[in-house]
Amino acid sequence: MADIKEKELTAPVAADETAENVVEAAESAASEPEKKKNVPKINTIEAKHSKIKVFDIINYAVFIILTLIIIIPIWKVISDSFNAVGVYQFRLWPNKPTFGGYATILTTSKLFRPLLNSFITTIAGTLLGLLMATLGGYVLNQYDMPGRSFLSYFLLVTMIFSGGMIPEYLVMKQLGLVDNMWILVLKHGMNVYNLVLMKNFFEGIPASLYEAAKLDGCSPMQIFYKIVLPLSKAALASIGLMFAVTVWNDYSTVQIYITSREQANFQYMLRVMVMDGDTPTTAYKVSQSTLYNAGIVCAILPFMMAYPFLQKYFVTGVNVGAVKE
Amino acid sequence: MSKKKNQVNTNKKPLGMRIWNNRGFYLMFLPVFIFVLIMYYWPMLGIRYSFFVYKGRDIHWIGLQHFQSMFMEPEFWTAFRNTLVISIVKLLLNTFVAVVISIFLNEMTSLFCKKFVQTVIYLPHFMSYAVVAAIFTLFLSTSSTGMINETLKEWGWIQNSIDFLHSTKLWQPVFYIINLWKETGWGTVIFFATLSGISPDLYEAADIDGATRLQKMRYITLPALANTIIIVLILNIAKVLNIFEPVFVLYNNRVFEVSDVVSTYVYRKTFMTSLPDYGYTTAVGLFKSVVGCMLMLASNWASKKIRGRGII
Repeated sequence: MADIKEKELTAPVAADETAENVVEAAESAASEPEKKKNVPKINTIEAKHSKIKVFDIINYAVFIILTLIIIIPIWKVISDSFNAVGVYQFRLWPNKPTFGGYATILTTSKLFRPLLNSFITTIAGTLLGLLMATLGGYVLNQYDMPGRSFLSYFLLVTMIFSGGMIPEYLVMKQLGLVDNMWILVLKHGMNVYNLVLMKNFFEGIPASLYEAAKLDGCSPMQIFYKIVLPLSKAALASIGLMFAVTVWNDYSTVQIYITSREQANFQYMLRVMVMDGDTPTTAYKVSQSTLYNAGIVCAILPFMMAYPFLQKYFVTGVNVGAVKE
Repeated sequence: MSKKKNQVNTNKKPLGMRIWNNRGFYLMFLPVFIFVLIMYYWPMLGIRYSFFVYKGRDIHWIGLQHFQSMFMEPEFWTAFRNTLVISIVKLLLNTFVAVVISIFLNEMTSLFCKKFVQTVIYLPHFMSYAVVAAIFTLFLSTSSTGMINETLKEWGWIQNSIDFLHSTKLWQPVFYIINLWKETGWGTVIFFATLSGISPDLYEAADIDGATRLQKMRYITLPALANTIIIVLILNIAKVLNIFEPVFVLYNNRVFEVSDVVSTYVYRKTFMTSLPDYGYTTAVGLFKSVVGCMLMLASNWASKKIRGRGII
């Protein structure tokens, strides 16, 4: 009994002791890791800091070089286009400034006509392309329309299989589109990939809007231009830009279908000028290389000017299709 | 999508009524339908010429002889081999460099610098191949205005100008470099889209575990990109035979043996010969289309297998 009592008596003490121990232990545990943490923490931070610094410096240096690699050729072309004499070696500033190169392009009908053609076909091609892509994309979204899947397969087949360069050429010949600048518009007027992008975008418009409009007695065409198009300005901008870039930059269609200079676009003219050295003689005393470089600048200028402001749209155009299921 | 399909199946209205109700939509699709029919399906009928001789006004049946002569033609096989080599090396090189750039650019701490670099490297994509070829033809020219040759001479690295674009040894490397310059930046767009989807928690967890920067790049960023890399490769492998413009703007008759691809071969045989046989070139085009179609279906199948949806 006594033993038990003793035990009972001592037990609380022991308990207290252990409790104290625990608290102490806890305290020490709390402080010790702090100490432990503190000491090596400073070290790791310092170590990391120096590592980060070295890594960052190298990283930034590499990317500065990378941007220079991209910018220098473009800058060199711009600089040379203002230089009256042929530029030798690695000079990045015009030593005899002139606007003669540009004046030549704007006043020589042989060069100005293709530039004008480029503008006309780009605008027309973009409008036609957007019209087809939006109409097609809108109709393909009507899931309760009989024959919808037939129509989408009808379009998808053209992505997988094509007649090829020569049969296409023979058909265009029959249609009277050979040596006719409108071939550029028609060739890019339909792009199934862009149509699918457009369709994916339209799918994001809430169905309740369509239903509400339908109840109000809107015809499909009215819904299309009163609700769908105003809600898709961003998609129209990105996909329109994709069309515009494609038509403006198209060189191979002209190379295949167009033979006369009057119908060519500027890309073709530039190529003929630089590669074949076929330059017109003008009153402006500029060297050949000045004219070539001014030509290159004219060919890239419209998009270079729009690019910083529209970059968002250029990039979303790609991602619209990539993200959406 | 499946939900909507079920709705269609349970729709009780008769077919005629449904067609009539959707008449507005059919009318809207009509322009697209006619356009595609003329621009895409009509040329497909022209494929029959691969079994004909089509020279000027002389059109007569010849059977499979065009294909026989095509497979006997060494020039065709050179073009076929070049197409595969050029397209695949270009694809692998551009993808590899784009991945490296996006991983390291992702590590850039300053958001402004990141945006700036992105803006700059996307730029060349919006220039046409004709422009890029013109720029580099001027730079690489052997005349006294050719920047690269003159600079190298000035530095004393070379004695005589190197004719980069007319040398069979140098043409392909130069072609790859020019394409890297033009397309790599744009190639990073899709990788960036993936990188922005990586959860920051992963990096925080790695920080707590004491991972270094390179370790995080190696064990978090790179695996996250693996799937995207495979998809990019699959998507592009379907198009390897289509390469035309990049090669056409840079090649010349002195480097045909290393630069001639199937499309340029077709072009040359049709538009640069005095009396072209449209039948023969259609046959070559058909061969290309069929192989391209098979590649497309194969990559579609692979894409479905890997990410659960096709490419078309």
